[in-house]
Amino acid sequence: MADAILTMEEIEKSFPGVHALDHVHFDVRRGEVHALMGENGAGKSTLMKVLTGIYTKDYGTITYEGKEVSFNNTREAQDAGIVIVHQELNMIGDLTVAQNIFIGREFMKGFKIDDKKMIEESKKLFDELKIDINPRDKMSDLTVGKQQMCEIAKAISHQAKVIIFDEPSAALTEKEIEDLFTIIRDLREKGMAIVYISHRMDEIKVITDRVTVMRDGGYVGTLITKDCTKEDIINMMVGRVIYEDPKTESKVPKDAPVVLKVEHLNAGRMVQDVSFELRKGEILGFSGLMGAGRTETARALFGADPKTSGDIYINGEKVTINSPQDAVKHGIGYLSEDRKRYGIVVQKTITENSTMATLEKYMSGIFINKSEEKKITEHYIEELATKTPSADQLVVNLSGGNQQKVVIAKWLVRDCDILIFDEPTRGIDVGAKNEIYKLMNRLASEGKSIIMISSEMTEILRMSDRIVVMCEGKKTGELDISEATQEKIMNKATRDIA
Amino acid sequence: MKKKLLATILSAAMVMSLLAGCGGTAASEPAAAPAEEAAATEEAAPAEEAAPAEEAAATEEAAPTEEAAATEEAAPAATAGGSGEYTGGTQFDGVTAKEAYKFPVDVKSFQSTYWQAALKGMDMAKEELGVDYDAHGPNSESDIADQVNMLNSDINSNPPGIALAACDTSSVLDSLKECADKKIPVVCFDTGVADAPEGSVVATVATDNTQAGEVAAENMYKAIKDVIAKAESPVRIGEVNQDATALNIQQRGMGFVNKMTDLIEADGKKVAVVGNEFYANEAKKAHSDLVDEASADVVIEVSVPAQTTVELCSTAAQAIMSKSDTIAIFGSNQTAAEGVLAADANLSLLGSDAAAGDVIGVGFDAGSIIKGAIEDGTMYGAVTQSPLMMGYYAIYALTMAANGDKVEDFPTAGYWYDASNMNDPTIAPNLYD
Amino acid sequence: MTKKKSIITDQRFIVLLVIIALVVIYMIFSPEFRQYSSILSMLDFSYYDILMAIGVTFPLITAGVDLSIGTGMVCYALVAGRLVRDYNCPVLVAMLICVLFGAIVGLANGTLIGVMGLPPFLATLCTCMITRGISSMVMATPWPTNKQPGGWFHSIFKLTFGTGRNALKLPVGFLVCVALVLLMEFVLNHTKFGRYTIAIGSNKEALMLSGVNVKIYHVMAYVVCGIFAGLAAIAYAAVVPTVQPGTGAGLELDAIGGVFVGGVSATGGYGSVIGTLVGVFVIVLLKTGLPYVGLQANWQQIITGIVLIGAVMIDVAKRRRMAKEQ
Repeated sequence: MADAILTMEEIEKSFPGVHALDHVHFDVRRGEVHALMGENGAGKSTLMKVLTGIYTKDYGTITYEGKEVSFNNTREAQDAGIVIVHQELNMIGDLTVAQNIFIGREFMKGFKIDDKKMIEESKKLFDELKIDINPRDKMSDLTVGKQQMCEIAKAISHQAKVIIFDEPSAALTEKEIEDLFTIIRDLREKGMAIVYISHRMDEIKVITDRVTVMRDGGYVGTLITKDCTKEDIINMMVGRVIYEDPKTESKVPKDAPVVLKVEHLNAGRMVQDVSFELRKGEILGFSGLMGAGRTETARALFGADPKTSGDIYINGEKVTINSPQDAVKHGIGYLSEDRKRYGIVVQKTITENSTMATLEKYMSGIFINKSEEKKITEHYIEELATKTPSADQLVVNLSGGNQQKVVIAKWLVRDCDILIFDEPTRGIDVGAKNEIYKLMNRLASEGKSIIMISSEMTEILRMSDRIVVMCEGKKTGELDISEATQEKIMNKATRDIA
Repeated sequence: MKKKLLATILSAAMVMSLLAGCGGTAASEPAAAPAEEAAATEEAAPAEEAAPAEEAAATEEAAPTEEAAATEEAAPAATAGGSGEYTGGTQFDGVTAKEAYKFPVDVKSFQSTYWQAALKGMDMAKEELGVDYDAHGPNSESDIADQVNMLNSDINSNPPGIALAACDTSSVLDSLKECADKKIPVVCFDTGVADAPEGSVVATVATDNTQAGEVAAENMYKAIKDVIAKAESPVRIGEVNQDATALNIQQRGMGFVNKMTDLIEADGKKVAVVGNEFYANEAKKAHSDLVDEASADVVIEVSVPAQTTVELCSTAAQAIMSKSDTIAIFGSNQTAAEGVLAADANLSLLGSDAAAGDVIGVGFDAGSIIKGAIEDGTMYGAVTQSPLMMGYYAIYALTMAANGDKVEDFPTAGYWYDASNMNDPTIAPNLYD
Repeated sequence: MTKKKSIITDQRFIVLLVIIALVVIYMIFSPEFRQYSSILSMLDFSYYDILMAIGVTFPLITAGVDLSIGTGMVCYALVAGRLVRDYNCPVLVAMLICVLFGAIVGLANGTLIGVMGLPPFLATLCTCMITRGISSMVMATPWPTNKQPGGWFHSIFKLTFGTGRNALKLPVGFLVCVALVLLMEFVLNHTKFGRYTIAIGSNKEALMLSGVNVKIYHVMAYVVCGIFAGLAAIAYAAVVPTVQPGTGAGLELDAIGGVFVGGVSATGGYGSVIGTLVGVFVIVLLKTGLPYVGLQANWQQIITGIVLIGAVMIDVAKRRRMAKEQ
C-alpha cells in the first residue's frame, strides 16, 4: 500500500435509477499490473470514467501521487499522467495515424502543425512497440487490430504514469496479444502502474500481479494473482459454477443435409477463392489471425460488401445475394463484431431493436402491434437473461454484453436458419459468455446452422463441430473437431507468415 | 461555463435589439420624408399654382384635381396623347371621409423603394382625408402564402375597406370571395385581379402596362430610327422581362414589342420576334406579317430569366448585348433594367448616341442606380409608373367605397423620363430611390 | 503501404475537366461567350458564391451545415450599405462591419450548435429567418457605385484602367479569391482549427476523449463561415446594383452545392477548399453560362442537380472501392 501511486476510496456514483458504484475501493502501485474484473455492468468502466474525469463522482476520494485530485475532463487526467486505452476504438478515421496519435497535443511551428515531427515521433513509438504501421496511412484504411495498436501507442506516448487498458486484447489475435504482453511487461519494468481490464481468465493469470473483482457496482475483494486460482476469481465474480467442457466430437449427424454451400467466393484482397459447406445443426468455426479475411468473407456472403465472383447455394439451390435484404430473405442472419456501428440503434429501445428486422410480423394493418412486439421482446429478455429494468429501456443505457444480447434477440426473432456470429463474445464477461454458448448450442440442436467467427482459440475449440482456418484472405485448412488442436490451428493460421 | 453562456446570450440579445432599433428608424422614416420632399418640390417649382406641399395642407376638394391636372400637363410629350384617357381623377372631386376610417393595406413587399413611394402617396391622401391606414407586406414578392395570411387576418378584423396589391392574382381569390360575403370593399392597386369575384373589388388603381410598354417603345424608337433606316445588315433590339407569367409584365412586354413592331413596319422594314416562346407567339398573333430571323431587317429578341435575381437578369442582358448587331435594349422592370446596367459594367456599350454605335438602353421604374445611370447618360431613359399616385388614389377610392359611393377603375399612366425632365416636379416625386 | 494517390481519381481533377468541358462547349456554341466581357461578368457573379462556399466548407466538413449564409450575406450588405448612405459611415468601416456582423451571426450559430447541441439544420434555419427579417427592416440600400465617392471598394474585385468601351478591366477579385482559398486550404490542413474541424466531422466523440475542447472548435467552424459570409456581402454589394431586402434565401444553396461538387464528403470528415473553388465554378458556369447557349436558366437548376448527384456518386464509389481494397 505504501507505494500506491493511485488510490480510490469509498467511490460512489448514481445515475437516475441506477446505483452504479457503491463504496468502491481500488488502488494501483508503481510497477504492477492490476487486473480489474467483473461481469457486465459490474461497474468497471464507470469506475475508470470517474477516475479520468468523464463522470463526476458523488462521493469518495481519489489520491494520486500523494495528493487528493479530481479531474474535470480526460485532458486533465492525461496531463497528470493517467491515460485510458478505450474498449471501443476511438480513432478519427479521416485523419492519418500520426495525426491521431498526437491529436489534442500537436507539435506546432507557429500556427502551422509540424506534421513532419509528428510522423517521426510516431515512427519512434512504433519501433519501440515493434509494430509495422506507416504513420502516414489514413486511420480508416487500417484493420481493427492495427487501429487498436495505434490506440495503445497513443496512450504510451502520453508520458503516462498510469495506463488503463480497457479490454485491449478483445480484438487482437494470439500473436498480437503476445506482443502486447511484451510491451506491458516492459512498461511495468519502467515503473508504470497498469490497470488491466479483461474477461480472459488465462491472460489475467499470465500478465497481472493483483486482481480486484467488482460485482453489481460494489467492491468484492482484491487477490494476489499468483496465490489464487482461476476458480477463485470466477467465484468472486459470479458466484455460480461455470460450464467449461470443450467439445470433443462433432454433434452433427454424418448425413445431415448441407444447408449452405459457398464456392470460389472472391471479394477484393481479403477474400480469395473461399469455398466451404455448412450442415444443418452445425457450428462451423472460422479461425485465423486478425486480418485473415474471416469477417470480410462473412460480409461478402451476407451481401454487405460487393463480391467479385463466387456461387452460393442454399439447400442445394443457387441463390443471388447482392444485399443484406437478399441474405435475410434467404434466412441468413449476421451478428456484427462491431455492434455499435452495425448491430443496433443505440438510441432506440430494446423492443424497437429486437423487432427491427421483422416489423412486418407485428403489424395490425398499418399499425405496429405494440403488445405483441413487447411480448416477444420480453420473452427473449428472459431467455437471454438480458439485464434491464424493462423492454422499454434505451439500448444505449445497457452494458456491452447486454447490447450483444439485444442483437442476438433481433435475429432470433427473425427466425433465421443460418446465423453468422462474428466475435459473439467480444467484450462480454464469463458468465454471459456461457449463456451465449449454451444458447448457440441449443440453437444448433434445434436445427439452426451457425457460422462462428472467433479470435479466441478456446472458444473455437469449445464450440465448433468443424473449423475453417483462414490466412491472408485464403482458406488454409479445414479440421473436424475430433482432430483439431490449438497447435494445428495456429500452424494453418500462420502458414504463410514468416 | 454557465456564465459564459449567459454572457453570450445577453450580448446576442443586445445586438438584436440594436438592429431592431436600426430597423425601427428605417420604418418610421418614410413618414417624415414626404414633407421634406414636398418642400423641395415647392422650391423647384415656385410658379406652380398649387404645389404639392400646399396640397398636403390645402382643402381636400382642391387637391386631387390639381394633382391630376398637373400630371397631365407634364406628361403629354412622353405619353404621346395617350394621357388624355387618364382623367378619371375627377370622380374623386369633393370626397370627404364620413368617419376616420382605418384601412389595412397589403403591399407585395417592402423590398423595393417602389412601395415606399406608394406609401408616401397614401400618407398624402391620409392627411387630406383625415383617415388612416396600416400597411402589411411579406418579405419578398414571391412569398405568396404569407400575403394571403395577412390578407385573411385583415379580413377578420372587419375593416371598412382593404387596399391590396396582390403578389399572385389567383391565390387571393378565396379571400376576395370572403370580402364579397362580408361586404368589405377592396381596392386593388398596382396589380389588378382579373378574375375577382363579383362584388369584392370595387375599383382598381393600376398602371396601364400596355401603354407603359408603348411609351418605352416610342421613345426608344426616336433614338434608333435613323440607325435602323441606314442599317445595311439586320439589327437587333433586346428586351429583358423579369418573368413570363405575371399579367402586368406580360402586358408591358407585349406593349413594347407590338408598338415597336408597328413603328418599324410603318417605316417599311421587316421584323422578327424571337427568344422566349410566350412572347414570340403572342407577337405572331398580333402581327401576321412577322418574318423569321434570317430574313428580318430588325430582330426583337425577348429574354426571360428563370429567377428574378439581378444576376440572372444581367446574364440574360449580357447574352443579348454581346451580340454585335444589338442596337438597343429594354429592361421591363427595375430588376431587369438594373440587370442591363450590371451587364454594361463590363461591356460599356450603353450610351445616348445610337449613330455613334452606342447601344440605347431603356429602363423601367426608378431606384438610385437607374436614376444615376440616366443622369450620367449611360441609360437613355426610362418609363416610370406612378406609385405615389397609385397609393394616393387607392386611399381616395377606399374612402369613397367606405362612404358607400360608387367608384370606377382608375388607370394611371407610365411616364417617360430622361435626363432632361427627371427633375420636373410632376416626375420627381415618383422617382423613388 | 503508402497509397499512391492517382490524380485521375482525385475528384478535384475530374471537376476541373468538367469546367474545361463546359467552357469549351459554351465557346463552341456561343460567339458571345468568347468575349472577354462575358468572362468578366461570369467572374463578377462568382466572387460572392466562392466566398460563401469557402466559409461553408468548414461547417460541412464537421458534418453540419449553415443555411444562414445567403440571407445573412444580403442582410450584412444592407446594414452596412445603410450605414454608408444614411450615417456617412466610411466604406472601409462598413466593410469591417459586414465581416463583424457575419462573425457575430456565426458565433450565434456555433453556440447554438456546438454548445447547446441544436441540430445544425435547425439552428441555421432560425438564423436564416432572423437575418432575412432584419434585412427586410433595413430597406433597399445601395452602396456607392464605382463612380461615386467611396466606390473604390469595387476595385478590390475589378481594376479598371481608362474609361469607356476600351477601358482595360482586370478581374483581380479572382486573385483575391484564389489567395483566400489557398489560405484556408492551409488552415484546414496545417492548423489545429482545421484538423479539429475534420476530426469533429469524422468522430467527434473520439476528439472529445482525446482531451480537446471540442466546443470551441465547433463554434469556430461557424464563426469562420460567418466571417466569409461577411466577405461575400462585400463582394455581393460590389456587383449587384441594388441589394434587395428580404432576398438571399436560396443563394446559400449554390454555395453548398458547389462545396459538394468539389468533393466534400456528404457525411463530413473529408473536404478541401481547393475542391470547393472548382466545385463552385461548375455551379457558376451553369448559372451564368447556359443563357449564352440559348438554354433558359431553369435548365441550370436541373443540370446542377444532375451534376450534384454525379459528384456525390463519385464520393460513394470512392469509399466503396477503398473498402473493397482493404
